[in-house]
Amino acid sequence: MRFSGLIVGLFFCITAVQGQVGKTTRPDTLYGSANEIIVTATRTEKKLGNVAVPVTLISSKQIAQAGSVRLADILQEQTGLFLTAGFGAGVQMQGLNPDYTLILLNGEPLVGRTAGILDLNRITIGNIKQIEIVKGPSSSLYGSEAMAGVINIITTAPKRNEFALSARYGSFNTSDINATYNYSKNRFSYQGFVNNYHTSGFSLRPNSQTSFVTPINRFTQQHQLGYHFSDKTKLSGSLRFNRERITNEIAVENNGVIVNSEGKESNNDANISASLDHRFSSGVKTNAKLYATTFSSEQELATSSGAPYTDYFKQRFLRFESQTDFSIFKNVETSIGAGYLLDRANSTRYDKKESTKENEVGYAFFQSEWKPIEKLVVIGGARYDHNALFAAAFSPKLALKYALANNMNFKASVGRGFKAPDFRQLYLNFTNTAAGGYSVFGSIEAQKIINALQGIGQIASVESDFYNLNALQPEFSTGYHACFDYTEAKKHTFSVGLFYNNINNLIDSRLVAYRTGGAQIFSYLNVKTAYTKGLEFNADYKIGKYYSVTSGYQFLLSGDASELDKIEQGKVFTRDNNGYSKRLSVSDYVGLPNRSKHQLNLKFQYQREQTFATLRALYRSSWYVTDTDGNGLFNTNDAKASGFVQFNATVGFLLAKKFNLQLGCNNILDYKDPINMPNFFGRSGFIAINYSIKQSNEK
Amino acid sequence: MKKIIYALSAFLFFTACDKDDNTTKVDPVVSVTVTNLPADTIIGITPGVPPFGGMPYGAGKYTFFSLERGVVVPSSDSATNKWDIAFRGTAILTNSGNGGPAAGGAFVYIGLFNDLKTIPSDSTFRTENVPTSYAVPFGSNRGWYVYDGLNNLVTPIPGRVLVIRTASGKFAKVEILNYYKGGVTPAASAPDNVKIRDQRYYTFRYSYQPNGSKSF
Repeated sequence: MRFSGLIVGLFFCITAVQGQVGKTTRPDTLYGSANEIIVTATRTEKKLGNVAVPVTLISSKQIAQAGSVRLADILQEQTGLFLTAGFGAGVQMQGLNPDYTLILLNGEPLVGRTAGILDLNRITIGNIKQIEIVKGPSSSLYGSEAMAGVINIITTAPKRNEFALSARYGSFNTSDINATYNYSKNRFSYQGFVNNYHTSGFSLRPNSQTSFVTPINRFTQQHQLGYHFSDKTKLSGSLRFNRERITNEIAVENNGVIVNSEGKESNNDANISASLDHRFSSGVKTNAKLYATTFSSEQELATSSGAPYTDYFKQRFLRFESQTDFSIFKNVETSIGAGYLLDRANSTRYDKKESTKENEVGYAFFQSEWKPIEKLVVIGGARYDHNALFAAAFSPKLALKYALANNMNFKASVGRGFKAPDFRQLYLNFTNTAAGGYSVFGSIEAQKIINALQGIGQIASVESDFYNLNALQPEFSTGYHACFDYTEAKKHTFSVGLFYNNINNLIDSRLVAYRTGGAQIFSYLNVKTAYTKGLEFNADYKIGKYYSVTSGYQFLLSGDASELDKIEQGKVFTRDNNGYSKRLSVSDYVGLPNRSKHQLNLKFQYQREQTFATLRALYRSSWYVTDTDGNGLFNTNDAKASGFVQFNATVGFLLAKKFNLQLGCNNILDYKDPINMPNFFGRSGFIAINYSIKQSNEK
Repeated sequence: MKKIIYALSAFLFFTACDKDDNTTKVDPVVSVTVTNLPADTIIGITPGVPPFGGMPYGAGKYTFFSLERGVVVPSSDSATNKWDIAFRGTAILTNSGNGGPAAGGAFVYIGLFNDLKTIPSDSTFRTENVPTSYAVPFGSNRGWYVYDGLNNLVTPIPGRVLVIRTASGKFAKVEILNYYKGGVTPAASAPDNVKIRDQRYYTFRYSYQPNGSKSF
């Protein structure tokens, strides 16, 4: 622990910044949550309590009180979400990999995934109003990637003049500084926001010269403009730049010789959007928006011996979309919309950097919400995505909510989700010269390349999967959900839900050919199926005026039906204590790796005006990591990571007028597992100061 | 160089050989376990670092073994009928085709060692056509092992039995149990130098049917 660092940080905060950041006091969403307005679940503004699909709402207050600064920090404390490491922090939702959760910023998709993962640490949450999490397939509204669910980050809207500063300093020389300026006058509003994050990184491995979390610097700026032409018409625009610099010094010892290399990584993303809203009448409104975003990533690794390694990736994404909401019939609200998107990428990972890979999608969707009787809401909708590169996708959804009593609801939904094959799965052209010279080719490239190699006698043999190489299809999921919730006197809430996701056409890499000399060639095929199912439980309980307890639990089972079939047919083996083979029994099958069966979180909170304290406990049970018995699937004979408990705590109070002080400690028990969780740091502390001046000129 | 010692240990199994059995007299087939059989163990690492160097290598020699006699055969006898099976790294060779002068061969049976009581009459024994094709298919997830490139470990696939036709045209069955010294695979987290040092030591069990029949 670096308390000296904390003390230095304290001075730093007070002297240099002189500022603090007060988060606007918002209604307590914990107990008034049913009235919070959300948009992600239906693409229209709805009270949370009126939505038929499962939605989790994280308020800015909750983010502030947890002391979170990056999106990953706050998501890891939510029921049913797990962070994954490797290619940045991804999020596993309802047991599905990070590839299958769509990440939106104010309703617009963020791009720039590496190996399917969008690094959630790239996203600052310093100017967030709320985060909305919709679980279950949501492609009926959002199209590709919304297979496990959608996370929508909503930034604050400038409603009054305000200037706020916040600064935080903590272990590993980690600092996070935010400045927000809001201006609103007559018909015009502006918000400027800047964030700078820095960490010196750390390593969990003793005597290692390599930092596992490397020194990182991130700088984000965002500008939002709004102009009301009239009460009925509004134009808004947003501009955001995000820059990330990572340096990585690696020392590899090989045969007693230490080879030093220096890696530099630079990631940039930019987003620009313009949106026009018009209300024709009280029942009809329309929106048209144009959105463009780019993500570029460059990596250079210079080694003291050998040639430097460089990697370049750039994605450009352009979208135009329009949506109209109307209510013509009594008790029926309808939204229809259509859009067009153009997605382009260039990369050294493909055949050559100069050749642009491109996909175009045209789509249309509709959704109707029907209230036949006061107690019942029925939602039906569908979306059709027409892809230039591969098969079209049709994604329907049906949901209902029935009020059993005034404070008791039953909700059920069924929906379809899909994920279109990404450029990597189509165009990757990668040969690893180190490990035996194996190659991975995207499905469009593979047949071409292998046929060409065959022509010059460079292919020794092809595997049966070579003949199955075909145009890749989207991956599909069908999700079912049922839930019951109960609210008592706006004090206690309770909900329990069941979910089941059936996933088809999963894309996986398969061996398709051998080169002369034995090197393997892999490509991507739609070959796997999977299911995830489980239970989610959430309860909030308020004790007296100042105390509350929040709890959440997820039980998760997962697997692959074809693997289960093979086990039942006696075709899968493992080893007994003597090392002899034996048949695997179904009861020893554990399903998909990297999934914990149990996850539990408990939060104790005290709050009295500006003073608060929280203690949060997060538990996850063990999860399987490596197939050590060589049978190609996961069972109780394989290696697993141990379950663990993490405790995080924060306290905050009003230091002086307009100044708030916050202290926090994460992972108090100092739990570490360098092998399975190299990115999970030990105990760390921080101190933060917030300062804000508000000038109320509303109305 | 440190001399490598291998040990043979034998377990005797009497496969349901009972006195009441009136059928053809079958010799009790013995199951023998061989441990720590070196197979071109690592003697050095090429200079440099990957991808240009840093590759472990052995002397490039096969270790020859006689299933009939249960002994290692010196490499000076490699061009004779004195051996049945040979090991070099993950490659396994039979005394057949261009791999040796005899008319041996092999195929991979999927199932349990003890369940293979009779070699099916329609079985096809493959012979060596090295390096294009091996009787026991060479490569990860093709023959007897799977290679985990992430953790750099070789694991024998459970439920794979190598059915061998010996140099003298008799039959044997072999189950590879482990590829590392002492019959224990290093942990995934073990340092690379341990994984390199301890690899290429076979532990396997086999049954050899001396009477020439296809039953075990």
